[in-house]
Amino acid sequence: MNWKLIFSRDSLHLWIVSFLVIAGGSVFVWGRGQLVPETYGEQGPYRAAALEKLASKPSVLVSDSVCLKCHADVGEERAESLHKAVSCNHCHGLGREHVVQAQKAAKTPGLTIDSAKEWDGNFMTHIDLFITQDRATCLVCHESMVGMPEGFKQINVAEHLEDMGAEEVKGRDVCFECHMGHDTAP
Amino acid sequence: MIQENNDTGGGCGGTCDKSSCACPSDEMTSRRQFLQRASTVTIGAMSLTILPVAMGDGTESQLPMANGKGAPNEGDQLFGFLVDSDKCIGAGKCMTACRTENDVPEGSHRTWVERYVHFKDGTLQVDTVPETGFAGSGLPIIDPELVDRSFFVPKLCNQCEDAPCNQVCPVHASFTSPQGVELVDPDRCIGCGYCVQACPYGARFINPETNNADKCTWCYHRVMRNEKPACVEACPVDARVFGRLDDPNSEISKRIAKIPTDVLKEHLGTHPKTRYAGICGEVK
Repeated sequence: MNWKLIFSRDSLHLWIVSFLVIAGGSVFVWGRGQLVPETYGEQGPYRAAALEKLASKPSVLVSDSVCLKCHADVGEERAESLHKAVSCNHCHGLGREHVVQAQKAAKTPGLTIDSAKEWDGNFMTHIDLFITQDRATCLVCHESMVGMPEGFKQINVAEHLEDMGAEEVKGRDVCFECHMGHDTAP
Repeated sequence: MIQENNDTGGGCGGTCDKSSCACPSDEMTSRRQFLQRASTVTIGAMSLTILPVAMGDGTESQLPMANGKGAPNEGDQLFGFLVDSDKCIGAGKCMTACRTENDVPEGSHRTWVERYVHFKDGTLQVDTVPETGFAGSGLPIIDPELVDRSFFVPKLCNQCEDAPCNQVCPVHASFTSPQGVELVDPDRCIGCGYCVQACPYGARFINPETNNADKCTWCYHRVMRNEKPACVEACPVDARVFGRLDDPNSEISKRIAKIPTDVLKEHLGTHPKTRYAGICGEVK
């Protein structure tokens, strides 16, 4: 080692460069540690904590399997019908509140569950359970419309009533006079 | 300098007498040494800064989905989605279910249903099914006599394997989960909207309530606890099928094996995982 060279006047440049490189590198490493979020890169180029956060969101829509735990008889009836693919919430609302109450009632004997409400005609607003015989419940799927697959049962209400020999019926529950939802006779 | 490199046995050639020659042999040597040592120190100092980064968190070595197929880690589930256009009746229940499940604000859609109507005069009309279905929506009714062919196509995020939305995200908030689902990190997203523009399927939007990019996640929170996505649950005709592609006995694997399916905009090379049955050229 040539100490004379290292401490010579010319080597000042070397010291300056070394200092800049080390100082700059340290700032870079420190800054990167500050800017890269925690758990980033554990599973890939993203925050692994986001997966847990997204997966922990509670479910809103009640699955049929939850309904059928108590209403197995309806499930069996429906399984035989043409409506076997139609989920409970399609006609009865989301039933979230109903399930919460039922779970409470199962733990606390004597607690009663609210009876189902009358439908107000708005599919959008119902978190609650409802029982309806409104024709709109049927016609939201079955009203004849351009675009439907040919095998699907399409109804033009006026024509259908005429074919069946019915007098003009304007009642909301007209469909349910002949058809039932759970065991649909054609 | 050129002479030096000729390798004639000395700094200034063999015939040169050191005392009388003007060649500054010693000075040259020390300058070269100086430069060599300087470079050694500089490279050493630089490696101090580079090493921690290179050894750091190892993200470079394990990019998921980088191979473009399958789950990145063995044993991970791999999800798939099949949309059967032949079955869809345009009831719009999927849209309502999605909105309720995922708090999608009015005016935005994570999923929607398009209707394609080919008229006998050769024209094509494409419209979107209202959320409560066409029945009672007050929209003009098309005379079935004029129609040659018509069908519904439900649309949602295609969950591409090579997703353009991921590539453009400046903060890595858009990413592919180990199950193959494209997700948005809500704490990381800055709402710049690049991904909304990058998506060739129009599946993303900026949520006006959270100011984050928002999109269909195949109801990630539901499927991770073995529930079906909300739209699949709500569909009355089984036009939407969700399941595991890594399980050959799942319903979706069986149906994809049995009927011809297609993906949207295949020429873009995004390799979507949402597959469609019963669609034709004008949809793609």
